[in-house]
Amino acid sequence: MTAISVENIRKEFALSNGGSPSYGTVKDLFAGTWKRGTEKRKFVALDDVSFDVAAGQAMGLIGNNGAGKSTLLRIISRILRPTSGRVCLEGRVASLLEVGAGFHPELTGRENVFLSGSMMGMKRGEIVKKMDQITGFAAIGSFFDQPVRFYSTGMYMRLAFSVAAHIETEILLLDEVLAVGDAAFQQQCIERVLEVGRNGQSVILVSHNMTTMVRLCSSALLLDGGQVSYLGSASEAAARYLKIAEARQGERCYSEVESAPQDRVVRLRSLRIRSREGATLATVSIGDEFGVEVEFEVLEAGTALMPSVIIRNEWSAVLWTTDTSSEWHGRPRPVGCYKCVAWIPAHLLSAGSMRVSAAIHSFHPWTVHLEANDIVLFHALECPGGARGQFAGNIDGGVRPLLDWSVELDP
Amino acid sequence: MRVFDATGTPLIEELAEYRQYVDLFRFLALRDIRLRYRQTLLGVAWAIVQPLLPMLIFTVIFSRFLRPETGGVPYPLFIFTGLTLWTFVASSILAGSTAFISNFSLLNKVYFPRAILPTATVAVCAFDGLIAGAVVMVVTCFCGYLPTARWLLLPAIALWLVVLATAATLLAASLTVAFRDMKNVIPFLVQIWMYSTPVLYPANLIPMPLRFLAGANPMTGPLEAFRACLLHTAPDWRVIAESGLSLFVVILAAVSVYRFEEAHLAERA
Repeated sequence: MTAISVENIRKEFALSNGGSPSYGTVKDLFAGTWKRGTEKRKFVALDDVSFDVAAGQAMGLIGNNGAGKSTLLRIISRILRPTSGRVCLEGRVASLLEVGAGFHPELTGRENVFLSGSMMGMKRGEIVKKMDQITGFAAIGSFFDQPVRFYSTGMYMRLAFSVAAHIETEILLLDEVLAVGDAAFQQQCIERVLEVGRNGQSVILVSHNMTTMVRLCSSALLLDGGQVSYLGSASEAAARYLKIAEARQGERCYSEVESAPQDRVVRLRSLRIRSREGATLATVSIGDEFGVEVEFEVLEAGTALMPSVIIRNEWSAVLWTTDTSSEWHGRPRPVGCYKCVAWIPAHLLSAGSMRVSAAIHSFHPWTVHLEANDIVLFHALECPGGARGQFAGNIDGGVRPLLDWSVELDP
Repeated sequence: MRVFDATGTPLIEELAEYRQYVDLFRFLALRDIRLRYRQTLLGVAWAIVQPLLPMLIFTVIFSRFLRPETGGVPYPLFIFTGLTLWTFVASSILAGSTAFISNFSLLNKVYFPRAILPTATVAVCAFDGLIAGAVVMVVTCFCGYLPTARWLLLPAIALWLVVLATAATLLAASLTVAFRDMKNVIPFLVQIWMYSTPVLYPANLIPMPLRFLAGANPMTGPLEAFRACLLHTAPDWRVIAESGLSLFVVILAAVSVYRFEEAHLAERA
């Protein structure tokens, strides 16, 4: 029996010229500058996506950032309406797109369980019946009757996941939530998802962790640029996904003008990780200096553009945001191609895989000309020495700078 | 089997869906009431202070300079009844007009029938309104206006007010999604509405060529009827009936604007 049937879903978002969602103002209405449908750029987030999920099946949903995974989950859970196509569902849906949606910091854990549960469509009686299971799973003990603002992040996450995991709906949608909490709790969550499948519930799971995805799901859908790139066995989908991800390591060039992130004023040409000598790098030793190079083309003169690069680590934490060329700060830019490089000093990063985003803004008024998230991946590799010294174990922290220590001994 | 497509849910189905979410409505309303009274120093007294303060100000201004003819009712009592009802409707609109835009992260993360958010704020204001209404009833009795058979109309007046506040709040909240600067415009509109409504003066004080405005105003009905109940004034039943018709116009407008904006609430709010 089919529990979820998605038929030819297409979703367009209207963008204003700045690239942000467009909306009118009363001022426009009176000033006669009110535009409806004209001059709006359209962004196609999903294009002709179809698939079925049978009852009791778990399907993985994978793809790069911006491939349309979240949009698809939002459409299935009715948060967004498709532009065309339709979704047929057999049974109730619970979606966990963000941990703790609907939680209020001033309310106690118990009050929040009622609020969050009822937001997902549970009746009061059902929540009361499940309360023991929820508290047992979350394991937060006496904090349960304290306002959640006193909770640690871990406790908050555990409680939030626990509510969602105990909803008895026929369909469960999960987005990246398995990445919360410590290893033991993650294991508990995985068990829970497996159990959900055994109870005849259907699950759609968005994950970047291919190992977990293949373990939990029998089939998977690989999205690329809003289109179905592969629909079939989970392991094959994972293999193809990793291949796509591989291709973008170290460099991203927009050779086709139409697909480049851009607006009226500026267009992104490329973003890459490079050495002083000019070679593109997919891996960087944390003991070496490297550069993040942004190339863009100014199409319309006169705007003081501020390009920036954002580096995220594998936990999606922003390591830093940087303005790449401060000598141009506040100076209107003439038309032309610009290549600017931010040099990242040696011994700053911690080891791991990094994702780089580029954005171009201007001030007065604050305008987002373009934003391209996580378009380049690279790996920062351990190097002997540096801030690690002789230590061989795991070192916590988003960055690992080599600092100057001064030591005074008072014998 | 439920089907979702570009056209959204039919109105009948959406209304049926609210039954499923009665508990959510209750939790949201209780949450806000609890948080409000947990945080404010004045607590329940706040409900009474809200209409009482403007009453003092308007009493000083109007009874000094304008002295409207209120049919023998003491002027402070006259406007206290009016302001109590008005405060409920106005505070619902002001508090609820941002219900969608300030809950963007929620709308974008969970599905529930969207109109629950503004209606829950109306419920919070209704809680204050009930307290204030009870105080008004005690005060009028204390001033010698004893209960009559007309008091049986009070539940109908309360229902009218709740329906009006809900429709107006839903309309304001939906318009605020459509026009981003609406949240600055709404306080002005509410002010204008107040002065064109017989809150501070009786409806029969409106000059004849403009008298139709009283009937075109869905707020006139409950005000006139409330005073007829509590202060034994003579009500103009025709104006009240006309006002009831305007209420339906407001409901229609609110439902159609909301249904239109609902399609892209999670994208634009």
